[in-house]
Amino acid sequence: MVGEELAVIDASGMRAIGAGLAIGLTGLASAIAEKDIGTAAIGAMAENESLFGKGLILTVIPETIVIFGLVVALLIK
Amino acid sequence: MGFLQKYWPGGESSQYRGSSNYAYFATRVRAMKSKLLPKEIYPRLMNMGISEITRFIGESGYKQEIDELARTYSGVDLIEHGLNKNLAETFTKLINISEGEPNYLLTEYLKNYDVWNLKTILRGKYYDASTDEIKESLVSAGQFSYTFLSELAGKSSYGEVIAALEGTEYHSILKDYDEINLSVIENRLDKMYYDGLFNIIGESKSKDRKLFATFIKTEIDIKNLKTLFRLKKAEVDSDEILDLIIDGGLELSIKNIKKLLPLSYHDFIQALNKYSYWNSISDAVTSDTGSLINVETQLTKHSLKSASSFSHVYPLSIVPIMDYIISKRNEVNNLRIITRGKAANLSDDVIRNQLVI
Repeated sequence: MVGEELAVIDASGMRAIGAGLAIGLTGLASAIAEKDIGTAAIGAMAENESLFGKGLILTVIPETIVIFGLVVALLIK
Repeated sequence: MGFLQKYWPGGESSQYRGSSNYAYFATRVRAMKSKLLPKEIYPRLMNMGISEITRFIGESGYKQEIDELARTYSGVDLIEHGLNKNLAETFTKLINISEGEPNYLLTEYLKNYDVWNLKTILRGKYYDASTDEIKESLVSAGQFSYTFLSELAGKSSYGEVIAALEGTEYHSILKDYDEINLSVIENRLDKMYYDGLFNIIGESKSKDRKLFATFIKTEIDIKNLKTLFRLKKAEVDSDEILDLIIDGGLELSIKNIKKLLPLSYHDFIQALNKYSYWNSISDAVTSDTGSLINVETQLTKHSLKSASSFSHVYPLSIVPIMDYIISKRNEVNNLRIITRGKAANLSDDVIRNQLVI
């Protein structure tokens, strides 16, 4: 019985799950990292508006994590 | 991760006071600190007259307050009121933009302005100062609003002031005031303030509280050292000094201070060798009867420096905020020293000695 069930699992399905995990987990990781940087950037901007540009750039730097995730997901597919 | 802390079994649910969001608060406060006057400004201010200084301050971070008060006051009074109002509003802002633990700790910490204001009003009444003179020294950064405090300052006798404070935590001490024991009452108010602080710090052993406690204890050490220097120099009796000492210092515990008390001024200075504060004051300390201004300036400088370096070690904690508070207070003090010195026609050297830059 066990052997039959295993045989049913499709390799492409596993790849899809892997790709999903790569995107999902890296998305969460970026979110956590951006949360602190974003609030800090808002705090600094509240006092000094000219920091908007720098704040924006620093806030999206952790976005690289999810981009790597996306790349890995595409490679898996 | 505040929500996890809240529901985590055995977590700090009983003392939970909401998320602290240090990333926002500490960065905003750092941005505020970057707006303080740089130290190169002070020599320039020294070369200005009162009206030029007023204009300069009116164009810097104190613009709003100076503009608002310019109709009512002028000259040195304008600067004084402007500085006090700005200080009060800045600290109130800190309370308003913080949440959770730092908000709670700051509210308790800033109660020292309540104590300060009560002392100012009582002293003012004691020396029959006019309402305006008392108002000049009020900083409404604590729990009491400026309106309430100026009402208190306008009362005709100390009895009415104390009656108006019924229901506050200070009333139990103030009711013993009989116009002779002003210094005893002032001392008890101070001790009550620090007792209150230690009470709330003792509640929990979180990292914030520990850092906050270290900060408060250093502050107490510096205060005690200043008291010791002054009273030792004036050769006051040991028991009397002990009454004025605040318990709970970091390095100078009551036990250590008791060892210092019987020593002569010269030996007292020698004994300070083993404490970390010695490095910062050793240049200024002399065993003759010269002025203590240098020593006190160095001690204040030490607390400024240690807070600032400490704030780099713990960037996302209450330390940068405390650092800002003492830097801001120091800036206001410096500006006040310059304007008051200029108004009293003191020489530049005398004023410069008093500045903590």
